[in-house]
Amino acid sequence: MSSAVIETKKLCRHFGEDETLVKALEDASITIEKGEFTAIIGPSGSGKSTLLQLIGGLDKPTYGKVILDNKNISHMNGTELSDFRRDHIGFIFQAYNLIPVLSAEENIEYIMLLQGLPAAERKQRVQTILNAVGLEGKGNRLPAQLSGGQQQRVAVARAMVSKPSLILADEPTANLDSHTGAALLDMMKELNEKENMTFIFSTHDPKIMERARRIIRLEDGRIVDDERRDR
Amino acid sequence: MSMNLVGRLAKRNIFRNTRRTLLTICLVACGLAALLFTDAFVRGMTTSMIKISTETFLGDAQIHQQGFREANDIDIYIKDTKALFSQLDDNSTIKAYSPRTLSGGMLASSENVAAALIYGIDADKEAELSKLKKAMKRGRYLSGNADENSSNKRISNEILIGDDLAELLEVDLGDRIVVTLSQAHEGDLSQELFRVSGIFHFNDRQMDKNMAFVHLTQGKSMLGIKGVHEVALRLQHTEQADDKSLGLWKTLNNTNLETLNWRELIPQLSSMLNMSSYSTLIASIIMFVLVALGLINSMFMSIYERHNEFGILLAIGTRPKQLFWQILLEGFFIGVLSLLVGLILGTLLSYWKSISGIDYSGTEMSGISLNEPIYLIIDYLAFAKISLSVLVITVLSCIYPAIHAARLQPSFAMRKAL
Repeated sequence: MSSAVIETKKLCRHFGEDETLVKALEDASITIEKGEFTAIIGPSGSGKSTLLQLIGGLDKPTYGKVILDNKNISHMNGTELSDFRRDHIGFIFQAYNLIPVLSAEENIEYIMLLQGLPAAERKQRVQTILNAVGLEGKGNRLPAQLSGGQQQRVAVARAMVSKPSLILADEPTANLDSHTGAALLDMMKELNEKENMTFIFSTHDPKIMERARRIIRLEDGRIVDDERRDR
Repeated sequence: MSMNLVGRLAKRNIFRNTRRTLLTICLVACGLAALLFTDAFVRGMTTSMIKISTETFLGDAQIHQQGFREANDIDIYIKDTKALFSQLDDNSTIKAYSPRTLSGGMLASSENVAAALIYGIDADKEAELSKLKKAMKRGRYLSGNADENSSNKRISNEILIGDDLAELLEVDLGDRIVVTLSQAHEGDLSQELFRVSGIFHFNDRQMDKNMAFVHLTQGKSMLGIKGVHEVALRLQHTEQADDKSLGLWKTLNNTNLETLNWRELIPQLSSMLNMSSYSTLIASIIMFVLVALGLINSMFMSIYERHNEFGILLAIGTRPKQLFWQILLEGFFIGVLSLLVGLILGTLLSYWKSISGIDYSGTEMSGISLNEPIYLIIDYLAFAKISLSVLVITVLSCIYPAIHAARLQPSFAMRKAL
């Protein structure tokens, strides 16, 4: 049994065929250990988001495989993948992507409802995480009644509340001002260190790169550099 | 996942685009209201047409001598009327009966001549069975039962004619009319002088122009027969005319007598009513298809707008099956709201027309003149069935969009977001 949280082997993702064939990702093989705070960087179109989506089981690879917590997720069906994502992965998206008809509290509670946790535990966890992300007293607000930074905090809380082993964040600071972005990153870094959660970011943001302990660089769908830092 | 959460999401989602949801509800509700109104109208029309055709003159059933209807021959008549009437008097299913003679004849006034059907009727019995007495427009109805041996010539020579026939003959009350007809068996001509005692108006041009009524004794005497050509029957309930298990159909159908219900007497009306049922069914199917297509379109618009959201829901662990149920629940909620609106609208409209009626005066359908308004009939059980069908169709219409949503690949859904 490997101690790695994630292992990708010769991962490829192609779109289209013949003349319209686009190789978004080619031969991407990486191993990520538990508790890593990793940034995947590269220019637009280099395959960062594609790699993140394949790791998160949101897309199926054309070739290769993804092993998450010692399970090959490449051949799972829709329901198995949904259950796996629910129990093992938290997502943070660039555009916050909260459910607009649910309040901040309900957005955070949603995954725990899917997991079937009892109401008392759900309520307690929601309050704890709202406090942790600095949104105490704003739980009843709908996403439209929150600022961009607040919405992204809710998204972070939603991703972390079920205590997944892995959090995938696709350019989480891209729509935030630098101050809010930095504060959010500090918060995630703190949670990473406290809870030993594994974070993988896809980003252009130098602030994330500064904080990352590992930086994987992609160009034209290929991993061209994998730098580990001791901080 | 708790159905509670699916339900909560579904409820909130249907009012995210209030205008579209209201338009969808209007579409389904109007479709349902139209179906309910059509159902009540067809019921009202069917009942009215049966009522008009049976109550005006025909009766719920008629007895003839075997062969009379096929040959239309005045020589074929019921001879043993005494035994028959005694049988009819003893039958509790029969509410009233009226014996009649009938023959084609010529009516001549001092101004004009016209052909007409001359009915010999028993005034009292006919008044219980048909609407002839109520249809009297001017003058008076035949004065009681003229005895065969009556010496009162004035009473026995009364004749009732329709207002259109009176106009054609240019006669009025008290004017003289000579009736000429050919006698049974020998075919000798028989002539009699009558005085117009009453003018009727059935609001049916065929009857008002082509029918004349004299006393039964006079009819028999002119035709030279001892019996009657037909006996019209009024049953306790019109529906009993369709119940062939009743004893009267067996006892009154034998080698001598032929007893037919109104459906057999006027098959064109029966066919038309059967066709109405099919027409309603076809109209319902068309309405269901239109409602379903409108709903599928609306649900797909809603789903396409929320592709990104569905992608997120799937990404964070919602099962495809749960997404499927969420869409179906949204359809169900829209269906329930539409059902309430449509049911109220359809019931109110139908109720209004069940009181005020729809006037089709002067219209003729399958040989039946609609001489009174059609009053819609609300059958609450049928209304409940139609409403539930619409709800089922609404939910079924959402299956295709729901499958589409459940099959979304999260990464594709998020890329394809509008």
